[in-house]
Amino acid sequence: MTPAEVRDAVADGAVLLDMRPPRPFAQEHVTGAINFQFNRADLVDRAEMALPKSQAFVVHAEPEPIARVAAQILTEAGYAVGGYLEGGLRAWLAAGLPTEMLPLLDVDEVRDRAAEFRVVDTREGFEFRHGHVPGAELLEWSRAWDRAATVPGDRPIALICGDQVRSAYVASVLQRLGKPALLVFGGMADWLERGYPIEKGK
Amino acid sequence: MKETKTLDARGLLCPMPIVKAGKEIRSLADGEVLKILATDRGAIADFPAWAEDTGNTLLSWHEDPDGTLVFYVKKVEE
Amino acid sequence: MIFKQYRFEPLAQASYVLGCARAKEAIVVDPSAELGAEAYVLDAADLGLSIVGVFETHVHADYVSCGRELSEMAGVPLRIHEAARGLVRYDVEPFADGAVFDLGKVRLTAVHTPGHTPESTCYVVTDRARTEEPWFVLTGDTLFVGDVGRPDLLVGDQELDVMDEAARARALWESITARLFTLPDSVEVYPAHYGGSTCGGVNMNGKVSSTIGFEKRFNLAMRQPDAAAFARFVKETAKPFPDNYARIKSYNLGLITREALRGATA
Repeated sequence: MTPAEVRDAVADGAVLLDMRPPRPFAQEHVTGAINFQFNRADLVDRAEMALPKSQAFVVHAEPEPIARVAAQILTEAGYAVGGYLEGGLRAWLAAGLPTEMLPLLDVDEVRDRAAEFRVVDTREGFEFRHGHVPGAELLEWSRAWDRAATVPGDRPIALICGDQVRSAYVASVLQRLGKPALLVFGGMADWLERGYPIEKGK
Repeated sequence: MKETKTLDARGLLCPMPIVKAGKEIRSLADGEVLKILATDRGAIADFPAWAEDTGNTLLSWHEDPDGTLVFYVKKVEE
Repeated sequence: MIFKQYRFEPLAQASYVLGCARAKEAIVVDPSAELGAEAYVLDAADLGLSIVGVFETHVHADYVSCGRELSEMAGVPLRIHEAARGLVRYDVEPFADGAVFDLGKVRLTAVHTPGHTPESTCYVVTDRARTEEPWFVLTGDTLFVGDVGRPDLLVGDQELDVMDEAARARALWESITARLFTLPDSVEVYPAHYGGSTCGGVNMNGKVSSTIGFEKRFNLAMRQPDAAAFARFVKETAKPFPDNYARIKSYNLGLITREALRGATA
């Protein structure tokens, strides 16, 4: 699909699924795009855990062959994929269409500026209970599509997971709803590596 | 302890190795062992957490030369 | 560090993907059109890595490279030693001897090793997360396990045959002696060919990796007393020319199209 066609599809209610890894997504992405990193082995399993089949999607991935493969995989799994963005972000920008970025944080900033953020952990319940950032709330990525609207937007929301794949997805969902989301790049892996304190249970 | 079943979760992103392990272990009898192969490094923190949460026993884990993570979990019936 | 050796068995050709798991970046070295640019792209995506560079150790004569397609597909430059500048007829981003490329903590250092071809370069890899000492070297067709690259793959064209066979043999001896064998013995060697490939001589080993130390001691070509004896040895132990090499080299140089290449092999 051309950028104009994608823009029109989105205006009609489709959601753009940006399947690049979190870092390039955070650097710049189509305004309102949802980040959902591609892989072949379990794309369908992960999608079925988080994304509704009742939603129309358009795929954006780079390099382009990935978009083609992703659209095919998702379509075969029963997702309503209208097509993929030809020419990627470059074509989108050349067409004068809007982009935005997702701010990144590292775990040091989360620790040093804890009072500034609402820390939201996007992992599964058992992972959260086993150890999380003190004061963090749980919003499992698998339930974020429906639940994101309930997250208060009064303070910047720092999304965290094991590394940054699931948290990037949730951050993009919140950002699309107009909430102030930030992505903790490095996640709990970095937090634990640095030996920072954790809270258990709840 | 010889494993009863092997789950190949290589290439799967977190939390899928755990999700699949949870499904697979249901079909095992008390005391049987599930061997899981994974490549996602999140599994290193996840499997101990999952074992603690479900009451199953993580017997051991190691990393093969090619980077594959291998976990041995013993089913413990509730 | 992420390190994957791809093998196209029918031509005993190896290509490599190197990446930093933390930075989520990867580069591809000597990609093969037999595997296809898409294969490398999808594999990198499976690991959540962005391809940030495509490198050639040299312009290949025995297999069709998809370096151009891959660099275009990934939107990144194709890197090759500057000696190739006058030879290839397409856009590349050349580098000089000693050039350094960083992928997070993974560092590639280009070591120019002319001989097999004028632009042949080896890439010394260091994982700075562990140490500043080099860990392994991608040797292209310069040094193989048990053998060395052949200096006689001339295309019979004045413009393309830079250096004559004798000069290339001397250069190859010099390159290996002074630039590869001066690396620590423990440095691992990963070549672009192994086993039955016709890019080296009859002594090429089926094992797909070795070490500098082992090759210094047991590589028969390099145990010759001097450059002249080395040149004779390499000539005597050479295999038949690689299948269709003149046309493959012409394609890899950008002189003929893919269609013309296909037509020739039909």
